[in-house]
Amino acid sequence: MSESIQDQVFKIIAEHGKVDVSEVKPESTLKDLNIASLEAIEIIFDIEEHFDITMPDRDPDFDTDSAQGLVDAVNEALAAKQNESGGSS
Amino acid sequence: MRRIVITGMGAVSACGMSAPALWEAMRDARSGIAPLVSPDPGATLRMKVAAQMKDFDPKPHFDETRLGLLDRSAQTTLIAAREAVSQAGIEFASSGALAQRSATVIGTGVGGELSREEQSRRLYRDNSTRVHPLSIVRTMPNAPASHVSIEFGLTGPAFGVVSACASSNHAIIQGAAMLRSGLADVALVGGTEACFSLSGVRAWEAMRVVADDTCRPFCKQRRGLVLGEGAGVFVLEILEHARARGATILAELAGWGMSADAGDIVAPSAEGAANAIRAALDDAQLNPEQVGYINAHGTATPANDPTESKAIRMAFGAHADSLAVSSTKGVHGHALGAAGALELVAAIGALREGVVPPTANFLDPDPACDLDYVPNQAREMPVHAALSNSFAFGGLNAVLALRRYPD
Repeated sequence: MSESIQDQVFKIIAEHGKVDVSEVKPESTLKDLNIASLEAIEIIFDIEEHFDITMPDRDPDFDTDSAQGLVDAVNEALAAKQNESGGSS
Repeated sequence: MRRIVITGMGAVSACGMSAPALWEAMRDARSGIAPLVSPDPGATLRMKVAAQMKDFDPKPHFDETRLGLLDRSAQTTLIAAREAVSQAGIEFASSGALAQRSATVIGTGVGGELSREEQSRRLYRDNSTRVHPLSIVRTMPNAPASHVSIEFGLTGPAFGVVSACASSNHAIIQGAAMLRSGLADVALVGGTEACFSLSGVRAWEAMRVVADDTCRPFCKQRRGLVLGEGAGVFVLEILEHARARGATILAELAGWGMSADAGDIVAPSAEGAANAIRAALDDAQLNPEQVGYINAHGTATPANDPTESKAIRMAFGAHADSLAVSSTKGVHGHALGAAGALELVAAIGALREGVVPPTANFLDPDPACDLDYVPNQAREMPVHAALSNSFAFGGLNAVLALRRYPD
């Protein structure tokens, strides 16, 4: 079975945070994982590249958002992308 | 000590083609921020708004041969320099001795960015094997300084200065320091930026510090910075020199302070900013109580505004509550390497007219920003001394201290 969206996002976070992927939980915040804001924008960049999506612009509370928040945002962006390609055909 | 005065100013920005046009917009909180004119209409951009010089046409200002040499960042610098020199009423051509004693220092964040991108498109998009032969001289970050020296025949020390968003203030300080130390008697100083390339816009988007609505410094609803462009140039002179030729003095550049955070490459440090503010007060021999107005860096990013507010408190103590502090970036945007030069127009206006320009687009106060930001409405008050703050990515800080003249 292919990796779930959540697994893929957690893997990207773990790589940047230099932590084992098992340490990344849905409720972990980037702060919990000791990830600085500069690394956070790199994570967003890698996620965008990986899924070929555009994430919504950064909210003021981005730094304290949870890993689950990122997964939700990716799912939304993927759904939007699917609708777009479906609608334009 | 040799005292330094400002006898001419020029500015081009989203708010118009002169320093008075910019000053009036700042004073009246008339924002030059508008829907982004995209560098690539085919591209989908997240950046929605910007403070651009939309109707700028360089052709009436330069002959065709010369225009080929000039990146937009140099064009705007020259137009601002002409305004400043004309206001100062200074004649360089008639005296070789004066020309030799005249310095030129112009700051820029990225230099000839638009010219660079134009040639990159030829290479990577069009698969061309040739780039324009003037690419080097258009894109080099010292080009604006060189063109100013050429235009007015200034043969004294001349160079460019780079420190991202503090470039203008660092350039102004370098010019002033040469005057104070006796290396020159007159200096044309300032900064410029023309940064709306597709790659530039994309790079700012990727940093996720850009607001999609407008620039709202120091208020709770601020969502980040809004990019701007333009140039500002000033004529600095030794006081005796200005007096001897009967020049109108706009203000005294009484001192300056610089510091490096030596910490994070992006996150600002209150300690580093406070060090630069204190150094400027010391250098200008100003007591904190003498300062009435601070033109803040005030980018409207989540990080800058509370950090800068804290730095002002650290440097001013109890007097922080009596200061009028405003950011004019809601009007002219964040013009990066030109920011300090555009904002010096605000500080000079406050000293000369006794009117503090407001912080535009202000909605509700943020508890983390607890100073008097003069929201939305200009304030009439005599200002005897003012500071102008610039803090750059890379942790580079430069603060100007100005006095009303005569006071």
